[in-house]
Amino acid sequence: MAQNQRPKTLLDSLGEEIIRILVPVSICMFLVVLLVSILDSNSSASVTSIAAMAYSETSSDSSWDKFLGALLNSLAFVAVVTVVTFILVLLFYLRCTKFLKIYMAFSSFVVLGFMGGEIALFLIENFSVPIDCITFLVLLFNFAVVGVLAVFMSKMAILVTQGYLILIGMLVAYWFTLLPEWTTWVLLVAMALYDLAAVLLPVGPLRLLVELAMSRDEDIPALVYEARPVIHHDSGLGDNTVQRRVWRARSNFRQDSEDNSNLNGNVVSDSNSTVGTVQSSHNGTRIARVEEEQVSERDAELSAPLIDHGRNAQDGMSAERLMLEGMGLGSSGAIKLGLGDFIFYSVLVGRAAMYDFMTVYACYLAIVAGLGITLMLLAFYQKALPALPVSIALGVLFYFLTRFLLDVFIVQCSLNLVMF
Amino acid sequence: MTVAAGIGYALVALGPSLALFVSVISKKPFLILTLLSSTLVWLISLIILSGIWRAFLPLNSATWWPFAILLFTSVAFQEGLRLLFWKVYKRLEDIMDAFADRVSKPRLYLTDKMQIALAGGLGHGVAHAVFFCLSLLTPAFGPATYFVDRCSQIPFFLVSAIIALAFVMVHTFSMVIAFNSYAEGNKVDQLFVPVVHLAAGMMTLINFASGGCIVGIPLLYLMAILTLMHCGRMVSRRLTENHRQGSS
Repeated sequence: MAQNQRPKTLLDSLGEEIIRILVPVSICMFLVVLLVSILDSNSSASVTSIAAMAYSETSSDSSWDKFLGALLNSLAFVAVVTVVTFILVLLFYLRCTKFLKIYMAFSSFVVLGFMGGEIALFLIENFSVPIDCITFLVLLFNFAVVGVLAVFMSKMAILVTQGYLILIGMLVAYWFTLLPEWTTWVLLVAMALYDLAAVLLPVGPLRLLVELAMSRDEDIPALVYEARPVIHHDSGLGDNTVQRRVWRARSNFRQDSEDNSNLNGNVVSDSNSTVGTVQSSHNGTRIARVEEEQVSERDAELSAPLIDHGRNAQDGMSAERLMLEGMGLGSSGAIKLGLGDFIFYSVLVGRAAMYDFMTVYACYLAIVAGLGITLMLLAFYQKALPALPVSIALGVLFYFLTRFLLDVFIVQCSLNLVMF
Repeated sequence: MTVAAGIGYALVALGPSLALFVSVISKKPFLILTLLSSTLVWLISLIILSGIWRAFLPLNSATWWPFAILLFTSVAFQEGLRLLFWKVYKRLEDIMDAFADRVSKPRLYLTDKMQIALAGGLGHGVAHAVFFCLSLLTPAFGPATYFVDRCSQIPFFLVSAIIALAFVMVHTFSMVIAFNSYAEGNKVDQLFVPVVHLAAGMMTLINFASGGCIVGIPLLYLMAILTLMHCGRMVSRRLTENHRQGSS
């Protein structure tokens, strides 16, 4: 066909980075919805967790009582999260990185082993799977250990690491959906507001953390999902290029930008490698990080003009480059999204699944739209941005609109077989 | 009736669109983004419509003319949004062409533009199928089934899946027709799309008569096939013109 011989247009490669972060988010949400619909949690016991310590909802309370109780719960939870994040900042400041890493590994083990185990038990009970204790324990232990290794060692296949990160997000999100309803919604809004404050206010803990990490040129020890960087196959070059683009352990990441800066002289500056960080302690991901490195000269032909432009425009922030970065082209940047974002998006969708599937679709579209808007804002503002607020706001808005407006409309039309 | 039946109904409504998605759209990330954004636009239009009509619901289901008004307003609103979608797409196309010039890649081919239109149309179709059929399909995964009075010969889920399939076809291909006709300035085709949409909607009103769905649904499929054929003719005409221009 003549088409195969024509050179490829923009349409083939535009937007690939966004898709690479959308797909895992969608998979995590889908798994949580599946879990929620299989395990009917109406009958299960109430969850005693930090988030429900101030007030436990019973169905006999009035709406105002429930709302107040939910508010108290959320405030307590946000307070705990704030304190823990400040402790994290303090430890990072005191260079206790080893301790933080061990703590992260331990918390991943707890999530995979204990939460994963409990959910596996629910599933076994639901489907009457014939399995004995010892086999189950051996399998669970292996699963948890491999998960911890995958998340914290860089030598694993990237798919395994990404898969385990999605699983951790799914497990924590499922546990959050077991909270009472009003508490969940108020908690989501509270966490979105906290995220906004923690990242954008000068005194916010996450902003302090990011600035510390940037000034020391270190990595922040946290659970972060990293999408594979886009490799442009039409370049036909260099192993050097491929090496540069390979997903690396986060500790080696800074080395990349140093190599690049040696190669490209004074073109690389802080303004060029924009770092907005998506971070998460294991229960709170906030900021969206888009790392865009200067690529070497021998890189894909797509980025060659970018380098030339970059050399001419030393300020590095011309509109063209902004647009390029906004479209994710011409840079090998891998988008990183913290695990807390995965968790709270999935909590929203999971809670929507407990009402009906129409709300699930509406909330999914809203969250994806919010994520897209956040990524665009990130490309525009070039600094650390919270990933939760826009998506959660849109998600909550769409949930309530769908539940109270759309549901009646669609059911009315469909049952009378009137469609358009 | 069971999980198998539920999945079957879902595939009846969404099977062809899944095939289109896997073969054409999943290969190019930008098309996936177009699909998601057009689905979102359709959802927003539905929410706005339901907000406007909420005060009047539930309608008396014995008479058909309130539903006719509802249909008319909904179709008019959605066609208006399609025009807006076209304007946004035009601006996006200009940006993309300028960008392509800058990185010395070729500009968008005609097939690329048609693929974007197809992705947009598929987004609308998938949104229709998801909200009018799939979201009501939850009881179908259980042990029983459900019949409505309007069309009591087959289960409600199957009827809605079949209607949704027809509408998916109408939405998908009328977007391609619409974009092509706006680009060429062809007035006849520009009118063709809203008229077909309205006609297809009105066909579902035939379901109000007793035993109406036996007549209504084949007529609806007639509209869908009409759209499909018109789109095919238009696309082949444009492609041969383009090829002749390119090779001459």
